[in-house]
Amino acid sequence: MTRRGIVTTVMIVIGVGLMVFAYFFGAAPWCANGVECSNPRIEWSPLIFVIGVITAFSAAIYYEVAKDKKE
Amino acid sequence: MTTRNKEPLPMGVGRVTTGWLVFVALALVGVVIGIVGFVVEHNQGMVATGMRDLGTGQGATWGMYISLVVYFVGVSFAGITVAALIRLFNIEKLRGVARMAELLSVVALILGALAIIVDLGQPLRGLVNLFRYARPQSPFFGTFTLVISGYLFASATYLYLTARRDAATLAERDSGLRGFFRFWAAGYEDTADQRDRDRRTSFWLALAILPLLIVAHSSLGFVFGLQVGRPGWFGTLQAPAFVVLAAVSGVGNLIILAAIIRKAVKAQDRIRIGAFSWLGNFLMLALFAYLYFVVVEILTLLYQPSVAEQEISEALLSGEYAWMFWGSVAALVVPLGMLVWMAITRSWKIGWLVTAGVLVNLGAIGKRYLIVVPSQTHGQLLPYEIGSYSPTWVEYAVVLGLFSLGALMIALFMKVFPIIELEEKQPAEHEEVTA
Repeated sequence: MTRRGIVTTVMIVIGVGLMVFAYFFGAAPWCANGVECSNPRIEWSPLIFVIGVITAFSAAIYYEVAKDKKE
Repeated sequence: MTTRNKEPLPMGVGRVTTGWLVFVALALVGVVIGIVGFVVEHNQGMVATGMRDLGTGQGATWGMYISLVVYFVGVSFAGITVAALIRLFNIEKLRGVARMAELLSVVALILGALAIIVDLGQPLRGLVNLFRYARPQSPFFGTFTLVISGYLFASATYLYLTARRDAATLAERDSGLRGFFRFWAAGYEDTADQRDRDRRTSFWLALAILPLLIVAHSSLGFVFGLQVGRPGWFGTLQAPAFVVLAAVSGVGNLIILAAIIRKAVKAQDRIRIGAFSWLGNFLMLALFAYLYFVVVEILTLLYQPSVAEQEISEALLSGEYAWMFWGSVAALVVPLGMLVWMAITRSWKIGWLVTAGVLVNLGAIGKRYLIVVPSQTHGQLLPYEIGSYSPTWVEYAVVLGLFSLGALMIALFMKVFPIIELEEKQPAEHEEVTA
């Protein structure tokens, strides 16, 4: 795999990872106690989710714009 | 990259005409009126609008702004859907409308985001707290993370990447915009290898955007459909109906835009009648689906309603909102008849299609308003008096400003970048690079 492919894959994995972390762990959608779960467990979790989306889609920009080393 | 060509840029890029200047001046006036309205609203508070508290205030807390949020996000749907379908299935006849479809999505999403901001009494506080505290249990989480942030970014990325080849082509010409084109092209080299990479990226981006789009629009429908305590909103049809009406308003808008641009840049050979007939068929199918939802919704509402739902259905079908309800239904049924006729006779007329596009958008705006407002004024489970909502001049001014801003953005884009994709030339063979 080229460096372009590796970096693109890593960006997608990081982006999706941030989304999963922010949604399922940071913001905790399955918390049972209403009052305790009123706010996300980690503040700014929604922002982390958005950054995850942006990182994943930025992978496409990197994949297109990055230069390969010429042989 | 060294050849400099002095011929003018295509599609009227970089050339200002009197008609364009008049259009931009009018749009600017509209934007200024909108800014004045927003400043008044910001200084005086939400009391400057017609929105009031539910129940005790006998009003509606969501009015024209939220109706337009739903409308604008809906318009964005068709733009990026059509653009994605073109890339996924290589629909050549639609190639001429691909970029304007992508642009329409981006512009509509920006307007949708602005419509939310003007609806917030304290925009800055609202924006900060959404990113800080929004809960995934709420459909609003999906609305602003997926719709406004993710979907907007994805659409802008799509527009940027799919236009790089044209930017590189234009950067070879000697013009005042050369630096801008070079920046946009970001080192693009029109080699076979680069084109392969383009196709791969466009395909995967389109594949990623389509499910994101369905989830995003459904989550916007869930904002209403999951509110169990609000008769008229709670229902399983809200999410799919949102998606389908989004397709209706978006395709309608795209038809109007394509017809205007076709004439403005004299691109009859690039946007042929085949593109309009494809869009007309798409619009017809979406209208059939949406009207089916409307009929099901009315039958369900009338069959054995609770007291609150009966009040809403009476207000919609024969009361305060009846003129708007039946007007909106007519604005959807009449174009459907026109489209069916054109499809049967196989004689697609651009003028008729544009009329259908205008009508379905009026119908869609009316339906969005009717989804948002009546359930607040007439859908009380607690024993409050029936409320009312009348927008003030401030809201009308802001709405005018939003539409004007959208028109201004498209007009400005047309003068700095080709609104229609340039025709492909053979890729250079000499600069093969290793993928």
